[in-house]
Amino acid sequence: GFAGENKMSTPARKRLMRDFKRLQQDPPAGISGAPQDNNIMLWNAVIFGPDDTPWDGGTFKLTLQFSEDYPNKPPSVRFVSRMFHPNINRCYTSTKSYLLEVQAPPLDAIVNLGIFVVSKYAVASEKVYADGSICLDILQNQWSPIYDVAAILTSIQSLLCDPNPNSPANSEAARMFSENKREYNRRVREIVEQSWTAD
Amino acid sequence: MDSEEDMLDANDVESLDDDFYSSGDTAVDSDDADADFEFIDNDSDDSQYTALHRHQQNYTILNEEDIRHRQEEDITRIATVLSISKVATSMLLRYYNWSVSKVHDEWFADEEKVRRAVGLLESPVVHFPNAREVTCGICFETYPCDRLHAAACGHRFCNSCWAGYMSIAINDGPGCLMLRCPDPSCGAAVGQDMINELASGEDKKKYSRYFLRSYIEDNRKTKWCAAPGCDYAVNFIVGSESYDVICHCSYSFCWNCTEEAHRPVDCGTVGKWILKNSAESENINWILANSKPCPKCKRPIEKNQGCMHITCTPPCKFEFCWLCLGVWSEHGERTGGFYACNHYEPAKQEGVSRQKALADLQQMQNVNVSNSPLEKLSDKQCQPESQLKFITEAWLQIVECWRVLKWTYAYGYYLPEHEHAKRQFFELHQCAEKELQIYLNAEGPSMDFNEFRTKLAGLTSVTHNYFENLVRALENGLSDVDSNGACGRTASSKSLGGNSKVRGGRGKGSTSKSSGSSRNLDDSGHWSCEHCTFSNVKSASVCQMGWLQHCDPQNTTLNFLTKSLPGTVDQWQGKYKIK
Repeated sequence: GFAGENKMSTPARKRLMRDFKRLQQDPPAGISGAPQDNNIMLWNAVIFGPDDTPWDGGTFKLTLQFSEDYPNKPPSVRFVSRMFHPNINRCYTSTKSYLLEVQAPPLDAIVNLGIFVVSKYAVASEKVYADGSICLDILQNQWSPIYDVAAILTSIQSLLCDPNPNSPANSEAARMFSENKREYNRRVREIVEQSWTAD
Repeated sequence: MDSEEDMLDANDVESLDDDFYSSGDTAVDSDDADADFEFIDNDSDDSQYTALHRHQQNYTILNEEDIRHRQEEDITRIATVLSISKVATSMLLRYYNWSVSKVHDEWFADEEKVRRAVGLLESPVVHFPNAREVTCGICFETYPCDRLHAAACGHRFCNSCWAGYMSIAINDGPGCLMLRCPDPSCGAAVGQDMINELASGEDKKKYSRYFLRSYIEDNRKTKWCAAPGCDYAVNFIVGSESYDVICHCSYSFCWNCTEEAHRPVDCGTVGKWILKNSAESENINWILANSKPCPKCKRPIEKNQGCMHITCTPPCKFEFCWLCLGVWSEHGERTGGFYACNHYEPAKQEGVSRQKALADLQQMQNVNVSNSPLEKLSDKQCQPESQLKFITEAWLQIVECWRVLKWTYAYGYYLPEHEHAKRQFFELHQCAEKELQIYLNAEGPSMDFNEFRTKLAGLTSVTHNYFENLVRALENGLSDVDSNGACGRTASSKSLGGNSKVRGGRGKGSTSKSSGSSRNLDDSGHWSCEHCTFSNVKSASVCQMGWLQHCDPQNTTLNFLTKSLPGTVDQWQGKYKIK
């Protein structure tokens, strides 16, 4: 059983229990998932690469974070395994901000601060934060409370071989997919192999 | 065309009526109308600013009651014509942004298409056999039949799942007005009738609120009054020339871009100007937060690593301690080494006191406005407040002048007419503020208060005329300006607000506007400017030292304005409400 049995009564938790039961009783092919030991709101899942595709043999790990608004709101889903796919973000963060020197100072700066050199400078700031998240419509604006964990995982699995060019989270992969399919497939096979060894 | 006319909505009907009554056999002379208004105003206690009546009334102000009424009217009318329920009609109207004519056209062009798009199904998509117990499509529990509901499509969900679904949608915002069936393959609309049946009390109220707001926000002909906290809406007849509207709350704004009234500058320029200033202020905030000025050359420095010994970039090359901004040669082991500084603490205090000084200044600026000068004056001079309207009007004119001047800065050039208008404005301001103080601080009623009244009222009127001319000249694209005069638009648009020392007006500008200031030529044929005493040649119509120098050689005009007017424009506008 799970710790905190008295919390069972929320609609979100009841529904998650039911999703889990369904996954165990009637598992769709090529996917599997389960809640973490003491937290039904956080799941680990695995998606197997579809047979007869460059993804074949891959075992890709994901996490699904649910909220009390489930099933009216979708979970946050992200890949833990390294992925190379047009609609899946890479995992890295980077922040950079720097001063640029620009032309004429505006009057307001002069009046308000009495520092007439201040506005010769402009600040540019760049923050890129990507976390293995997935650009999939049913996980954003096309979500429906009818979808369950099985439906989510199945949709992601079919996304692997069927990227959506309209929302490229990984522009390098997107470009390669349309311009250099051979190189793209090579990169896919690379991450397939990596998925076997990663923890 | 006939059907078009039939399908005018509640917002159109009113303007039609206006036209009907105003264009009749009795040709209303606009001058007479103005005279009427002025006459009424002088008698009544309404301190409505008379000049504003001169504009054509091309908009209406609506309160919540009016909005509800019009919305109800539109819905009822369409529901009758199309023979559908009122709930369905409201979904339809919402979809087409409350345009009655659009609904009418689209429906009769292709009803099927419209029904599909809006989600108004005529018959259910699914049929369930009459089982006693049914499974909910969301929670997958089974319930007796009566605990489940469906939209027109027939997809059934239990009441608690519906309540949850609606609650989430409503709390996400006005998108809830276009709520659809939870089934992803189904687009059936979920209307207010279902909300009222299944959602919680709180959610029902929120939905109702969004529904009412939508009539203004999604409607192309109406907008909320831009004043914060004001609940009125403005219905505008698009196609009129001036976008300036004045709400019942006395706030005046441009209906097109909802910024404060910005005649004579156009909306595009205003948008760019505001963007530029806000971007600058963000930069400034960042710089203040993340950098310190070099103690010698004042350039901002961002420190991102290392010890406290900073050397400014050439040509300055000043060496100082980052923490206390003191010269580096005084630092060393005694003061804490390279990574600390025991001078820092006292210096931090100074920073704090600077903040405090700023706060005090703000407070002082507010204090001036909180006491009612009019009440005080009324007491001191033993005059009823209604007789002191001329002061209110003087300030209103000042506020208006302030706004016009502020916006002409966006052009960044100089007009000969500008010069005189400004002088007029400063004179008015001087009289309204400084001389008023005398009467405020007087011990008892003064004999010459009536003289003061005459002077101020006169100044107000003259200033108003000057500014009207200025504004008109700018609106007409400066066709009135001599070619030797202003820099012209192309030059100024490049330096949007950039160059504070604007050049121009050196030519043979219109001397006609320089009435009132006679030029006393000295022996060499020069005249001396009364503001800066610069010796100008006879042929110069305006002082060659330029506009800015005249206010105060040390400061720019905006600086002058922001310092001299106690409080802010908004505070003054709020203070002297137009009843």
